[in-house]
Amino acid sequence: MQKTILIPIDFRVASLNTLKFALESSTGEPHKVILIYAEFLDDSITELLFYRPESKIASKITPEFKNAMEVLRNRFEYQIADLEIKLFHNRSRRGLRRFVENHQVDAIYIPKTYRLKMPKKAFDLVTIIRQTFSDFQEIDWPQDLGNASEKDHLQYLFNQ
Amino acid sequence: MKTQTKIAVSLVVFNIGLLLLFGIGIYFFLNEYSYVDFYKRLETRATIGAKYNLKIDSANAEAFKKVREQHLEKLEAEKEHIIKISPEVSLEQQASTYHLPLSLLQDLLKDGRARYQEGSKFYGGIKLRHNNATYLSIVSANSRFVSHHLTFLRNILLWGFLFIVVVTVYLSIYFSKHFFDPIREMIDKVKQISTESIHLRLKEPENNNEISELASTFNDLLNRIETAFETQKNFISNASHELATPLTAIMGEADVALIKERKPEEYQNVLHNVLTQAERLNQITKSLLFLAQTGYKGKKIVFEILRTDELIWEVKELIDRLNPDNKILVDLSLLPEDPKKLKINGNRQLLHLALANILNNACKYSHNKPVSVHIGASQEQVLLFIKDQGIGIPESELPFIYDPFFRASNTRLFEGYGIGLPLARNIIKLHNGTLLVTSKANSGTSVQINFPLAKLIK
Repeated sequence: MQKTILIPIDFRVASLNTLKFALESSTGEPHKVILIYAEFLDDSITELLFYRPESKIASKITPEFKNAMEVLRNRFEYQIADLEIKLFHNRSRRGLRRFVENHQVDAIYIPKTYRLKMPKKAFDLVTIIRQTFSDFQEIDWPQDLGNASEKDHLQYLFNQ
Repeated sequence: MKTQTKIAVSLVVFNIGLLLLFGIGIYFFLNEYSYVDFYKRLETRATIGAKYNLKIDSANAEAFKKVREQHLEKLEAEKEHIIKISPEVSLEQQASTYHLPLSLLQDLLKDGRARYQEGSKFYGGIKLRHNNATYLSIVSANSRFVSHHLTFLRNILLWGFLFIVVVTVYLSIYFSKHFFDPIREMIDKVKQISTESIHLRLKEPENNNEISELASTFNDLLNRIETAFETQKNFISNASHELATPLTAIMGEADVALIKERKPEEYQNVLHNVLTQAERLNQITKSLLFLAQTGYKGKKIVFEILRTDELIWEVKELIDRLNPDNKILVDLSLLPEDPKKLKINGNRQLLHLALANILNNACKYSHNKPVSVHIGASQEQVLLFIKDQGIGIPESELPFIYDPFFRASNTRLFEGYGIGLPLARNIIKLHNGTLLVTSKANSGTSVQINFPLAKLIK
């Protein structure tokens, strides 16, 4: 049976490790993956009028991140039946709960030690998920703290 | 002809051509229209005139006259003629009595309607029958429109045309000169740059137009040329040093041996040393030759479809034989499920050489600490990562690592000539791949190699 899983990301390659390890530990059934990115809505009226999530998401995807997603899709060709990125704007527990219900999410995976690096206009969903749900699953992976640079690099996905 | 003059001339010619066409068109069509219109007016007057002069509609004849006098504007030099055609009087006589052109009367008799022009005087008429007699009703008048308005229009058009020609010529010359100013400036600047002053750069204008793009392209080119210059200089000094060292050793050994008579063992020893140095020299020249061959694209190299993971295993086996202490770990956790995504177009020997060089370096400069090799694939590329925990490369020296014979400052304790990495990069370039080295001194080096996926027919 297909499972829907929800994973918060920050459009950096490293945050995709949650997905990688979540799928590695799964039993191999197909998944519908929803990557979620949380940011505040603009309050300018023109921005709201011409609001299009597709173009917003497209502007955030770096070539490195795109490559990393492709690598994962190739690696888990059978397990990732569908992969989509969603924007989330409601910084409330109820909003998040409703999102989870609407998308019929079966499981939520969050990183245990990795901190999402959110810019000023965005907010960290991991803490809200921790506060809202009790049945989320935490994923941890070895992080190269000494070599952590500000630059996003594809090698952060290849880290075993 | 200079581009500048070309632009000016073609602008002027096109503009004047279009303008001429426009002016002549206006004049011609208005002229045609005004004639047609004026003849129609004359004919209407001739019809009405005939009606009241001949009292065709006797009840309304007076009314017609009134209407005509009250509502139809009197034309300039308007004259009405009603001519009764009778067999006794010839047309020529009629024409001379009424001072009318003969051809008009002939046409009228023949067709029933006729038009005639004599200078600015226009004639229009109709033929009609009344009480068993044939009449010709003719009205003649001067067309004020043709004589005054059209001439006025022609003058306006002519003067306007002249004015615009002058303006166009001036503007074309001005703009063609002005547009090329930055280019001329750039030419002057580029002329100043020679091999001695290759560090000079062009000024890039702030606004983002073609000129600034050209300037930045020039600057990029100069940057590359400068780097190539530097590389060349480095290469020559490094190469001569590398080649001179074994040669000096050989000469020194031979010199010392020849000072006096020696025992056969001593000669053997000297010859052995000479042989070692000569072998080293041979090694260097061979690898130089190989480097030159891979850098030169004229030679045909046979490509075949290869699986990247197989390549890695083969290279690992090779290194296991040469250096049994190595700890190369191949990570397959991101290996794509579809093996097609691992296939690349390449030459097996060359790729072996490149990968062996890189893996060997990783093992060598990390004192056989674990080296991890990761394989993954995106939609278009196979990605290889080779990470070691070795001595790394100082950040300031990273730009030079692809220069032949260059060796980082912290590699004095390791053997090598500095040809392996440039060679690997040349080979990867031959395969349209990219090689990316990131490193930090004392914490390790990570090499990323991307190869484009082979396009397989499905």
